[in-house]
This record gives sequence, structure tokens and C-alpha cells, in this order.
Amino acid sequence: MIRVYLEGSAGIGRQDHQNAMYRPAFAAHPAFELVTDKDKADVVSVAVALDRRAETIADAIRAGKHVLADKPLAATLAECEEIGRLAAERGVLVVPAHHQRFSPALRSAATAVRGGRVGLPWNVQCDFLVAGGDPAPTGELVNLALYPIDVVHAMLGLPVRRVHAVGDPDLVTLLVDHEHGVTSTILCGRIAELADVRSSGLAVHRYRVSGSHGVLAVDAAKPALRVSTAAGTTGRWTGPSTVDALLDVLAAGVRTGRAALGVADAVHAQRVVEAAQLSLDTGAPVPLESEN
Amino acid sequence: MEPRSVPSSIGILLVGAGFIADVHSAAVAASSRAHLAGIVDADPGRAAAFARSHGAVPYTVDLAEALAWPNVDAVVVCTPNDTHRRIGAQVAAAGKHLLIEKPLATTLADARALAAEFAAAGRVLVAAHSHRHHAYGRAVKEAIEAGAVGRPRHARLAILGGWIWTGWDAWAADPVRSGGHALHNGVHVLDLVTWWLGGDPVRVFARGRRQTAAELRIYDYLEMVVEYADGAVSVCEMSRAHRPGSFGLRELLVTGTGGVIRQDWDGESSFLHTEGGTGLVPAAGGDGFTAQFESWLDAIGGAPSAMPVADAVRAVELGVAVEESIASGRPVAVGAAA
Repeated sequence: MIRVYLEGSAGIGRQDHQNAMYRPAFAAHPAFELVTDKDKADVVSVAVALDRRAETIADAIRAGKHVLADKPLAATLAECEEIGRLAAERGVLVVPAHHQRFSPALRSAATAVRGGRVGLPWNVQCDFLVAGGDPAPTGELVNLALYPIDVVHAMLGLPVRRVHAVGDPDLVTLLVDHEHGVTSTILCGRIAELADVRSSGLAVHRYRVSGSHGVLAVDAAKPALRVSTAAGTTGRWTGPSTVDALLDVLAAGVRTGRAALGVADAVHAQRVVEAAQLSLDTGAPVPLESEN
Repeated sequence: MEPRSVPSSIGILLVGAGFIADVHSAAVAASSRAHLAGIVDADPGRAAAFARSHGAVPYTVDLAEALAWPNVDAVVVCTPNDTHRRIGAQVAAAGKHLLIEKPLATTLADARALAAEFAAAGRVLVAAHSHRHHAYGRAVKEAIEAGAVGRPRHARLAILGGWIWTGWDAWAADPVRSGGHALHNGVHVLDLVTWWLGGDPVRVFARGRRQTAAELRIYDYLEMVVEYADGAVSVCEMSRAHRPGSFGLRELLVTGTGGVIRQDWDGESSFLHTEGGTGLVPAAGGDGFTAQFESWLDAIGGAPSAMPVADAVRAVELGVAVEESIASGRPVAVGAAA
């Protein structure tokens, strides 16, 4: 069994992903057991306030612990890069909680795209709208946007060359240029509570991947049932948990020394987020020459 | 506008007997308030054939001659985009009303000149932004105006196809003749979404792609992003680049302060599952061309135009800005911000 210590119960705004998501998932997962003594842990699940997150993760790495980090991995790109350097130096895993990429429809979609099912992809369109819940005090660009940025990254696997952003940090449109002239567009934000969507649930989460030989349209709200009652119609998820899948990746990583999701993915997402913020501030596209 | 005296049956001169003329002539034929009075086409054989198949109406290759025919009250122009300025000016000078295929013109200066000439002539000028008249276009507008989703903050509209023009010599694929794809087809979505949002565009950022062939002189895929003075944003896609060639998709998403309006790719269709695969069977009705024609007749009679000239001019400005943005890679200011 992989021993896990839960560090912190904070996040952006009033988030408590540790107790709402990670604790029950670790408790139920057959590969993990929760411990209360940090020194005896193999993995530290870090969900502290963002301004303390990089420091807390660095301490865990220096103590030789693997880390599951609530998203975003850190507050700045520089901090993310430093975590990556430190983890490589100490030979431990750091898995950022980009769990949306493990949505079953999106895992299949990434496999299809990377397997050439649409030919050479040349454009991705994404809508990622959360209904209700607590708005992030920092704006949703730094809270929610990394999820679809990460999904597009998982599908394409292409470096980003330029980022333009319009709208505002609560409902932002990202216009991303990737290598080989591939483009992607991500609408992301938080909207009002909707009658048929649970609070903080995804009202719209979909991707359209256009390629040289076909088009893949993905509704990440699937697989689900539609349940209609006198109170309205709601979706009822029938797929596996994305957080469970995240822990599967963590467990496999601890056992093999390699994880399917790591700091490089967090660095990628943070680089795009920071470029988008700069673009919103300046009104101009921001080149990213250093991405590789 | 004051009510205008109009004939019991308005005589329509159709100029240009190409691909799109059939839907306009069908709208004329379906109307109880108008009739086809004649046809003009630069190709005499095509003009003659079209005239024969539409009740042996008069035909000619000379627009000036046709404009002088006594029973011509109004004109529908379906000619290549770069002819719109010249033909429109002739129609205005002849004192006829005009329904002209989009774009109104291929430059902003030409669009403004046409608007001024028709205003001076006291005649109705309407650009055929037909999607305003399709059932879905009207329904979205009505829902927004009814406050269904509060204040609209974002709109997305994609009209994607898998077919390309007929050949290398097709005028629509010639950027000089068509003005580029942003002017030729892009204006449809730019106008529709801007009309839905009711906002004043301030900036355009666009990306284009020559997907079907590197040698294309136009962008067969366009992504056009418009920012509005109230902070709203639209993402408009127009494509003839998608594969397979049979691909056809229209989807829309309007995000407001109080909810979302959404119609997915299958929102108007049934599914047909056959040995050849799965296809769509679109629902009947909702013909925008007939509604557009009747709306134009209403405007000729003095009703407010459902497609004001200023909006047609604005669509040209947006289309021109799209082409500029693609060329420069930068956002382009439009409207009062330009």
C-alpha cells in the first residue's frame, strides 16, 4: 500500500478539494492508505493556499516524498519550473491534479486524435463553462482555465507558440497558436446557477477537433443519463471518476517511477495562463518562443 | 419611414443567373406581392435559358436596357461581389429598390457610397444576409431580446462545410473578385452574431487557414473573434475546409448573465441510419430566403428594414477587418474605435 499524508485543506477562495475530492478518493482506492504521520508517508497530497503551495510542495520533495498537488501546481510559472527542477533532482514524482483530462470521453478522444483518427489535427474548439458555485476571487482564468488548456495539450501534444485572450478573467476566450500552424480556441468561465446543473457543475464541456481527414466532436458530459422529473431534467454521470483515474496515474507512477501526468504539464498550463493574462492586460497576442 | 405606394404586384428584375439566383427566383415565385419581370446576365445563353425556365420572361445582357423596362420596380442582384458597387449604383440611379447578395460591397468605401446613393434616391437597399431570416437566427434574437439569458456576454456560431468551390477559376475563390472569404461568407456569421448581441464592435482578431490546398488564394477556414463595446465577445467560424467533403455543421452557443442558449449540430435534424452510415435529415421549413424577400417587400412598402443598410456596411467593415487581422496577426480596431 502507498501511504498518503493529507497536507492542508485550502485552495483558491473557499475551495477544499482535499476533503471534498482527494480524501474520499484516497480512502476508497485499493492502492493507497491514509496516514497521519507525515514522516511515514510515501505521498503528500498538498492542498494548501496558493501563496504557500510551492513552498509546501518543495518541502515535501526535499523530504523525499512524492506529491499530488491540487491545481494549479503553484502561483507562478517560475515556481512551477522550480518545482520541476527540484523534483527531478530528488527523483520524486509530482502529479498536478489536472483530473479533467481523465474524463472517459476525453481519454478516448485523446487516444483517437493521437492515433490519427482525424488525420493531422489543425484546429480545436472548446467550451468549458461551470455553472454556479463560488467564483474564484482571482478570476477563473487562474482557476478553471488550466483544465481545458491541459485537455487540449493532452490531445495535441504540441508546443504553444502564441496566446491571445479576450473577454475578462471570469469568462475568457483563449486563442492559442500551436506548432505546425495548429490553432485552438477555448471559451472558459463561470456562469450563473442553472436549474439543470448542480452547483459548480459543468454546464458545457465539449471539444471539436478538426483534422485533415475528419472531425471529432466530443461531449465531455458523457457518459451520462438524462433524468427528467417534475423539477426539470438533469444529467446523471455513468462514467468512472476522474479523480479515481488521477489516483490510478499516481499509483502507477509511484510503482514505476514514471507518471502519465507531471510537472511539465503544469508548466505548460501555467505558461499559457500567464500569457493569457498578459494578453488581457495589453490587448495584444503574446508570443511564446521558449515552449518546447 | 412613411408608407410608400407600391404596385399590387412588384416587378422584379433579377440580375445574375448563377447558383444563388434559383433561391431568389423561388422566393419571387412564392410571393403573392411580386412577379419576375425579367432577367439580366452577362452570358446571353445563360440569360436565355433562365428566362425560358421562368415563364419566358424578357432577358438581356444590358442592365441599362432592363432597368428601363416599364414593369421593373425593384431589382435582385446575384452577381459576383466585385460588381456590386457598379451595378448597385446603376440601380440607384434608375430609382429602383435593391436586394443585393452579400456582401454589400468588397470595400468599406464602396459600401458607404452605395448606402449614400440609395439614401439620396429614397429607395430601399437591403443586403441579403439571409441567416437573419432563417428560423434559428430569428429564434435566437427573440430569445435574447426577451431576456431569456440576461445580458449576453459571449456568442459562438460555427457554420462549417466540407465542400469547396467549383474550380481554380471560380470567382468566389478569387480574392479580388470576392473580396476574400471573410467578405464572401464570413459576413454571414459576423452580421448574425453582432445582430444577436446588439453590441457595437470595437475590435476584430482573426485566424485563417488554407486547408484544402496550399495554393488557395482565400482562406477556406476562418475564425473571427469580435469584441464589443460592452465587453461581450463573439467567436465566429466559417469553413469550407472540413473533411469529409459531405461534412456540414452549424452550432451556436450564447452565454449570458442568466443562462445559455444552445443549438448543437443536430438541433434541427433527424438521424438517418443506412448501410452508408449515419446522416441527418433536416426539419422542413424555416426558409430564410422567402422570409427575406417578403421582408424586403415590407420595407419597400415603408416598414422598417429587418436588415438596415448601416448593418450591411458594418458587416463589410468587419469582413475587411478580418482579412486585415489575418494578414497582420494583430487585432484590428473597428467602428468608433478605428
